[in-house]
Amino acid sequence: MNILHKGKSSFGIKKILPFITVLFLIIIMVLPYQYKIIANTMPFLTLIGIYYWSFFKPNLLPIGAVFVLGLLQDTLLGSPFGLMSLLLIVAQQFIFFQSRHFLEKNFIFNFFIYIMLVIGFGFLSWGITSLYFGVFLDYWKVIIQILLTIALYPIIKLTLSLNNKS
Amino acid sequence: MNGFRKRLTISFFILASISFLIFGRSQNTLIEQIRAYVFDLFIPIITLVDIPRDATSNLSDRVRNIAMVFSDNRFLREENIELKRKLIESTELEIDNFRLKSLLNIKNGTLNTVTASRIVSDSNSPFFRSMLINSGTQANVKKGHAVVNEEGVIGRIINVAVNSSRVLLLNDINSRIPVKFVKNGINVILAGNNSRFLGINFMPEDVKAVNGDLILTSGMGGVFPPDLPVGVVVNVLATGEIKIEPAVNFDRLNYVSVIDYEIANFSELSEGQMENNKPSRLERSKQ
Repeated sequence: MNILHKGKSSFGIKKILPFITVLFLIIIMVLPYQYKIIANTMPFLTLIGIYYWSFFKPNLLPIGAVFVLGLLQDTLLGSPFGLMSLLLIVAQQFIFFQSRHFLEKNFIFNFFIYIMLVIGFGFLSWGITSLYFGVFLDYWKVIIQILLTIALYPIIKLTLSLNNKS
Repeated sequence: MNGFRKRLTISFFILASISFLIFGRSQNTLIEQIRAYVFDLFIPIITLVDIPRDATSNLSDRVRNIAMVFSDNRFLREENIELKRKLIESTELEIDNFRLKSLLNIKNGTLNTVTASRIVSDSNSPFFRSMLINSGTQANVKKGHAVVNEEGVIGRIINVAVNSSRVLLLNDINSRIPVKFVKNGINVILAGNNSRFLGINFMPEDVKAVNGDLILTSGMGGVFPPDLPVGVVVNVLATGEIKIEPAVNFDRLNYVSVIDYEIANFSELSEGQMENNKPSRLERSKQ
């Protein structure tokens, strides 16, 4: 259903649906929430989007699109320019590298790979940002972000698959 | 061959991202301009997507306000009596202050409110503390302008587009502002650290801060006008580390003011004035 259909092409809005949905997730991330407890531990929503589309429709989200989405996220978040594009590209390549194993295993195995990806993504973002600013940044909030990203996956996956089917 | 091309494409995008990271670090003008142009483009979309959240937030605020109207009314009446008393004291002090400044020939800087703006986007990240406001060059906002509200200092403008600007918040790790302790007038540099509390870099060894000490802007550097509320010392650790709670509640920010502060210019004296200011022959002979 997914990687097997890599060569299949889609027409119309479906072609840009992955880009639009990830962009929408970026906008959700930058809304001015009143309670900073939510804002400071904002899950990596774009990573969920990139994971979902790279897993189910990899041909609809090429590396160039991921690069542009990363730069857009950096621009809207105010994070160092190039940080998110680098992290999202690395994450997507990890998903592609693991994709051959996904097909042969069950949901639990796939979810385990997802958890590994989120942990890696979280700590890599923390590490690069610490290096960039030259200070040892607090990692507890990243751990909360990682846990929330893992917990939110089923909900966002359900929403994206409803969009995908319609 | 196909595999080689694929690897080349991946390497290209990874290298491009790393290059942006490196060149963007030194606040590259071109990159900053591109960023300003892009976030300006997205402001209407963000505002549109924000409508449901904004409506829900307004509704909950309204319900809370209705629920608290009686207790608020009682509190405000008591506060009003206290404020009236303080107003009389303050007016007396203001007159004294004006008289002393005139005696010392001290000139105040000029403070202009450039614009009032609405916050349209927040970085929502534990690593970066900034927000986008819906005013830019069209409203005469410039890089370096101070951003405040009725509670105190919020931050400063770091990137300006036509209809929007990015504000670096006081608690961002890159934020440094000159401040002073009210009780002794000691000037220090307040630094953000991405947490709820602010800190102080290079506290003089002979100065001891205690809980409750008020921190105001010192006016040095010319970005922030002097005497704006910044925060209050809430904890002094055994290591000497000082924790300051910001005067501004960052959880409840909706609207902000962008202000422009100009340090008073001491106009050059004309030839005639210089002649007049020269000590007379008689005075010189006395010396």
